[in-house]
Amino acid sequence: MSAITATPTFTRSIPSNIGRQTWFARSVRAEWIKFWTVRSTVWTLVATVVVMVGISVLAAWGSTVEAVDPGSSMNTAQLLSAGYQVAQLVVAVLGVLTITGEYSTGMIRSTFAAVPRRVNVLAAKVLVLSAVVLAVSVVSMALSYVATLPWQDELGAKLDLTDPETLRMTVGLPLYLMAIALFAFALGALLRHSAAALTAVIAMLLVVENVLMIIPLRAIELISPFLPSTAGRRVLFDTEMLTATDAVTAGTGLAPWVGFGVLMVWVLALGAVAAVLLRRRDA
Amino acid sequence: MIETHGLTKRYGSTTAVDHMSFTVQPGLVTGFLGPNGAGKSTTMRMIVGLDSPTDGKVTVNGRRYSEHRAPLHEVGALLDAKAVHTGRTARNHLRAMAATHGIATKRVDEVVEMTGLATVADKRVGGFSLGMGQRLGIASALLGDPQTLILDEPVNGLDPEGVLWVRNLTKYLASQGRTVFLSSHLMSEMALTADHLIVVGRGRVLADAPVSDVIAGAHGSKVRVRSPRADDLEELLRRSGAGVTSAEAGLLEVTGRTAEQIGDSAAAARLPLHELTTVGSSLEDAYLQLTADEVEYHSTQVGIPTATGAEPAIQGASR
Repeated sequence: MSAITATPTFTRSIPSNIGRQTWFARSVRAEWIKFWTVRSTVWTLVATVVVMVGISVLAAWGSTVEAVDPGSSMNTAQLLSAGYQVAQLVVAVLGVLTITGEYSTGMIRSTFAAVPRRVNVLAAKVLVLSAVVLAVSVVSMALSYVATLPWQDELGAKLDLTDPETLRMTVGLPLYLMAIALFAFALGALLRHSAAALTAVIAMLLVVENVLMIIPLRAIELISPFLPSTAGRRVLFDTEMLTATDAVTAGTGLAPWVGFGVLMVWVLALGAVAAVLLRRRDA
Repeated sequence: MIETHGLTKRYGSTTAVDHMSFTVQPGLVTGFLGPNGAGKSTTMRMIVGLDSPTDGKVTVNGRRYSEHRAPLHEVGALLDAKAVHTGRTARNHLRAMAATHGIATKRVDEVVEMTGLATVADKRVGGFSLGMGQRLGIASALLGDPQTLILDEPVNGLDPEGVLWVRNLTKYLASQGRTVFLSSHLMSEMALTADHLIVVGRGRVLADAPVSDVIAGAHGSKVRVRSPRADDLEELLRRSGAGVTSAEAGLLEVTGRTAEQIGDSAAAARLPLHELTTVGSSLEDAYLQLTADEVEYHSTQVGIPTATGAEPAIQGASR
């Protein structure tokens, strides 16, 4: 350990712009720094891009190999969102770790000592996480578009954003991934434990929803369409896919944006419970 | 200034902090002394609003911690050396903390220098030793240049040089008129650092007084006297009401008199002295007496009563 030389010097007025920025702006700034100074977040973002682009390319290539109907045209938006099932798991991990990483390391105590208005911290984290996931999804889609160009002609695929359905699918993907990241974040804030929250989120996305969907009980058939991912992912489906999905399930066929709205209600409800508990519980 | 009024924290049926009322004054180093499990850390967490009291109230500079507009400028706290994300570098941790209060990067560099972290500031905290973690905790506490400092076991894990540094730093901060509240279970450290002591056991305040008063209040502090005329001296001291025992010929152990009083009496009676020693760390005796009935975890009898210079026989995890 190096020698401690200086007698500490204190200037009573240290440079600070406390008055000029709001609490929230400063919290966001702090959360932004925290977000980018941990390696795991950078790696999960890289993984999101790789997964999204990689699966899009595989889907494009696979479709040309076994092109069923040469005459039909394919919607490129569907190609771009081909990797959503894997990508949602990656952003879910990111969402969970954003908050549980602080609990597992004890960082949360430093955070709340600096910002006693804990809901501010939660809101700042939500903003940073949402912005980053949206940005990374858009970048991934752009890269997927470029990467699948060699196959697009052959597939008759085109990206026509004036078509309402294409626009909805294109805009829907970043929003869907953001919502899943926030859903995972809210569960992380509730459970405060990385392993528990990751298990809960992944079990929900991969197991619970898919299993419930195939149980032929009336009660479950009524609930199933309203589960977070089942409802939310409908913004990613084209009409053909929506019809096919509704054909195998007996429940309500939610309109795509209504489905996404249901997912957001889940996010808000969990987030509200997390915020209330956050204020009440000892850090 | 920190004020607690009837501060209480219960976890289920366990009472960690039991109606504690005390005031920590500015301009002094106040030691918060007690065995593990006495409620020191819980109290400190309640001061900075991390844990909410079951009952009672605690204020810092007249307000609840959470009511301060810029808490880091009011109170700097080292609560837990590990309250840092292990994947982040020390400097980035401090930058993020600084950002919450709009504190300039220049100040981050200052506290890094001040705490001797310059060479490791860009390494990730996960690889830090306990001592480096403590230095980072102290750096965070100093970041906002606060009027009040709360340091929970700050010398824990520090090397001798670091211990000395913390001692000088806390005294220096208090000399500037700041409030310094320092917890420890090491009375030897407190004897050297603190001006005032709040001794706690099982969540209750056992003593709240200047260090010298706490020591004076201890019974059984002994003075060892060696004299070729021990018998005459014993006679003299007994007549004056002091307690005297003799372990061996020519050696007396005197209670109820200070070394000065005994020396003066001996000189007045023209009795030669070959040794005159106050036995043991008196603060330690005082502390052990105060907390004798209050320790939560008694170890199975390893020579407690006159633990001179030895660790008190108190075991168990803190918190």
